[in-house]
Amino acid sequence: MSRTLLLQQVLNGLAIGSVYAIFALGYTLIFSVLRIINFTHGAIFTLGAYATYVLTGSQLGINGLLAGATLPIRLPFVLALLGGSVVAAICAVIVERLAFRPLRMVGADPLLTLVSSLGVAVALVNITQYLFGAEPYSYPDPLSRLPSAVNFGSASQPVLVRTVQVVIFGVSMVMLGLLSYLMNATRTGKALRAVAEDITTSSLLGIDTDRLILLTFVISGFLGGVTGTLIGLSVGIAGPYFGIAFGLKGLAVIVLGGLGDIPGAVVGGLVIGLAEAFVPSQYIAYREAVPFALLFIVLLARPQGLLGRAQVQKV
Amino acid sequence: MLTRRLGVVISLLAVVLLGGALVGRAADPPIPIGISVAQTGPVALAGQEQVLGAQIAEEYFNKQGGVNGRPIKLVFQDAGSDEPTAINAFQNQINVAKVVGIVGPSLSQQAFAADPFAVRAKVPVIGPSNTAKGIPQIGEFVSRVSSPVAIVAPNAVKAAMDINKNLKKVAVLYAQNDAFNKSETETFQQAVKDLKLDLATVQTFQTTDTDFTAQITNVLNVKPDLVIISGLQVDGANLIKQLRDLGYQGLIVGGNGVNTAAIYPICKAKCDGVLIAQAYSPAYKSKINDEFKSMYKDRQKKDPPQFSAQSFAGVQVFVEALRALDKKSPIAKMDLATLRVDLNKQLISGTYDTPLGEISFTTGPGMGGEIVQKQSYVAQIRMDPDGTKGTFVFVK
Amino acid sequence: MATFLATYDFLLVSMVLAAALALTLYLPLMAGQLSVASPGFYALGGYTAAILSTKVFHHPAPGLYPVSLVLVEIVVAAVVSGVLGLAVGIPALRLRGIFLALATIAFVQILGVVALNLDVTGGAIGIFGIPQPFSSQMQYMWLAIPLLVVSMLFVARLEPTRAGRALVALREDELAAAAMGVNPTYHKVLAFTASAVLAGAVGAISAHFINTWNSRQGTFDTSVNLMAFVLVGGSRTFVGPVVGGLVLTALPEALRGIAGLGGLPTWFAEFLRDGRLIIFGVLIAVGTIFFPQGLITPALLRRLAGRRRPAAR
Repeated sequence: MSRTLLLQQVLNGLAIGSVYAIFALGYTLIFSVLRIINFTHGAIFTLGAYATYVLTGSQLGINGLLAGATLPIRLPFVLALLGGSVVAAICAVIVERLAFRPLRMVGADPLLTLVSSLGVAVALVNITQYLFGAEPYSYPDPLSRLPSAVNFGSASQPVLVRTVQVVIFGVSMVMLGLLSYLMNATRTGKALRAVAEDITTSSLLGIDTDRLILLTFVISGFLGGVTGTLIGLSVGIAGPYFGIAFGLKGLAVIVLGGLGDIPGAVVGGLVIGLAEAFVPSQYIAYREAVPFALLFIVLLARPQGLLGRAQVQKV
Repeated sequence: MLTRRLGVVISLLAVVLLGGALVGRAADPPIPIGISVAQTGPVALAGQEQVLGAQIAEEYFNKQGGVNGRPIKLVFQDAGSDEPTAINAFQNQINVAKVVGIVGPSLSQQAFAADPFAVRAKVPVIGPSNTAKGIPQIGEFVSRVSSPVAIVAPNAVKAAMDINKNLKKVAVLYAQNDAFNKSETETFQQAVKDLKLDLATVQTFQTTDTDFTAQITNVLNVKPDLVIISGLQVDGANLIKQLRDLGYQGLIVGGNGVNTAAIYPICKAKCDGVLIAQAYSPAYKSKINDEFKSMYKDRQKKDPPQFSAQSFAGVQVFVEALRALDKKSPIAKMDLATLRVDLNKQLISGTYDTPLGEISFTTGPGMGGEIVQKQSYVAQIRMDPDGTKGTFVFVK
Repeated sequence: MATFLATYDFLLVSMVLAAALALTLYLPLMAGQLSVASPGFYALGGYTAAILSTKVFHHPAPGLYPVSLVLVEIVVAAVVSGVLGLAVGIPALRLRGIFLALATIAFVQILGVVALNLDVTGGAIGIFGIPQPFSSQMQYMWLAIPLLVVSMLFVARLEPTRAGRALVALREDELAAAAMGVNPTYHKVLAFTASAVLAGAVGAISAHFINTWNSRQGTFDTSVNLMAFVLVGGSRTFVGPVVGGLVLTALPEALRGIAGLGGLPTWFAEFLRDGRLIIFGVLIAVGTIFFPQGLITPALLRRLAGRRRPAAR
């Protein structure tokens, strides 16, 4: 394999992978603190993307309840991104209060919470469709003045990566850094890890577990909103279901990296991205099965994932 | 307590199911035509466009006096994006709404599941967007106004060859999880072989995919002169955009699935120059197409997409067949069963001047009407420099 | 009444088949295992029947397809699913809790991609024109109801046997059960394989029932529905999933029916019709909070039985 092709495929893998990674970060954060799989992440991600769209002052299409509506304000993209992510965070909190907290209060099985999150995700996606209609939307492009792709090779042997994907990669690294800093170097982070370890003991020790869980959802929702918007920037908002497709692959990512492990989410994402990029051309039809085949193998061989610690069975 | 709750729930369900069945519409003056397309679920984007086309048709034909003075009334029952919902929708249309005919469903797979129910009940069905092989063969009551692309595909490739006289290598991409596109790509690939071009690679993707980096790398590796894409609006548009972003400068031919202005927001200026094999063209000049286009533009401020034109044509076929049938023998005097059977016979034998062009049907033993479409179109997209507005310009 | 049956015959049979499919989730759950692999076996069963009836068994064109051949297909589908169930179950069932759930999700996704790519399964278009053994949909009850009843009887009979008690012991505390001599893997694989066999049989009937089969049948969405059936219907007794399957399958269509009743304000009727999925999702979420053991609980059943005779304590 020529060096150019190899480099191209590696960069492709990193590009594809950083999209998965950035999605998985919010996903795995919830798992790390609450030990639940939160399927609503995909729906919140979608809502965040739509919220940013509305905040850029763009107009909604004719289908859906809010047909033709526009906000009177028109924010520049970065502000709209932040605003949209705040909206996503608020939605995440509402979901937590209404759907997850009652289950937590009665000590429900995590599998029950998983099913509940599925129900909420279905409801949210359809509410989104009801409000915004099913047509695709596209942001006024803030990167339009930059070239559409970055050349990592030479002029004669170009190795191109789309600019927006370079941005996404960069943002995923920044987010990883911020989250790791939060979890490892701040008091709040230590408190979050305590809650993850044992929620009852933590509250007995005086930690306000309720508030911390709320914080977890705020961060995860905000991350979801940022992710949704960035991916929407890269590929347009494909429709209300556009977050759901990430939900299942996201599972493969977080298990591969190690459930609840934050750097693991990024590692998992990049590994799966690379695996997908290296599928030989003639087998491309099976590309879709690659993340799940990896998931299955990892579960059988090393369930704690690449970076997780082996779970000791407590008797 | 729980038992009572459960009992209430079950009795409520029973009442509702019974009620829904019994409270039908009794002998309404307007003639009911059923529209069962994907109003919810992942296919809703296509479904929404189909609903719009049908609504415009209702308005248009009722303005003309409907069926010889009697208005039509469209009955919408969501067929969802899955097979069982489509079946349930059809059952409702046939037995509760008591429609004279159904336009739908959106997907070929749904048609394979639901159409047999209509055949058994002897109710005519017109498929607005079912292009897989074998649809009219499901039964005598199944017809379609969606052309199976067999004629248009080679024309689009030929148009590309006219633009680039040295065209030799072709790369084909298609959505493997969609019946529409799987059928279409087989036609395109056959056309490439028939035209003695070199089919350098075939890549697949899913309609739900948004990132095509891996496939594009494989495509660019074989250095094609032409890329043929069979996908739906969003995935197709993203594929076009990413191909251009990553440096592909050759020709692109898109299939029916991207034959819509809905791709403009996604690929923007990069949509420019794409050749589209169309079963419908907004640029086609005819009285009815001009009126349809202007009614559509009033509501949506852009050109009508193929899905809307096809559902309009579906309703039109029913209306005009009803008119012709009524002239032969007054339909007000027919009972519903006879009306449905006679309507089916009538619609297959007619010729219609629709926004799609002039259409008629061929049939055979055991099958309904397979569309014969006189016009086929190849167009090229021309975008404004700022990438917000575009038009389809005829090539042939 | 005739209109009711004509409109809802498909729905009624779907309800019965869904109830049987719900039991396929219940079986591994008896051992405390959440496995959502049954949609994969359901798909496999459907494809088996579809391929056999369209490509292998040739029958004279007009006239109904012989029911005996359908029964043969059901048996073949059940056997094929059972074999695959064993092959997948033995390695996979060493996993616990959420890990098993995830492995089964992966399994279903992989099967889906394979189904899209094989020629024999027809790719995205699938297999269509599957012959009908009955002249009316209601007659499918001749297949569906016995299947449901036999499965219910199987589970009911299983519970008091040694194997059944072993499963419950595993659900309560796997470590303790193993310490007491219960072989966990053997029993878990038993439940998993039984579930696969049943799912394959339901799939075989469904392929004929909906006239066509493709990779869109038996997906993760089906798993979501099954989870809803069991968790809302009742996860502690086999009656629960059956009731859950019946009620929740009818629900979206009941909402469609309510929307069709005259006299409702238009926006509300439209919401009921198009917002079915929203209502469904909310109901699942609410159900997990207010009915965590589902609607049908062992306590409820005991009370119902207790009304007829005093409970022996």
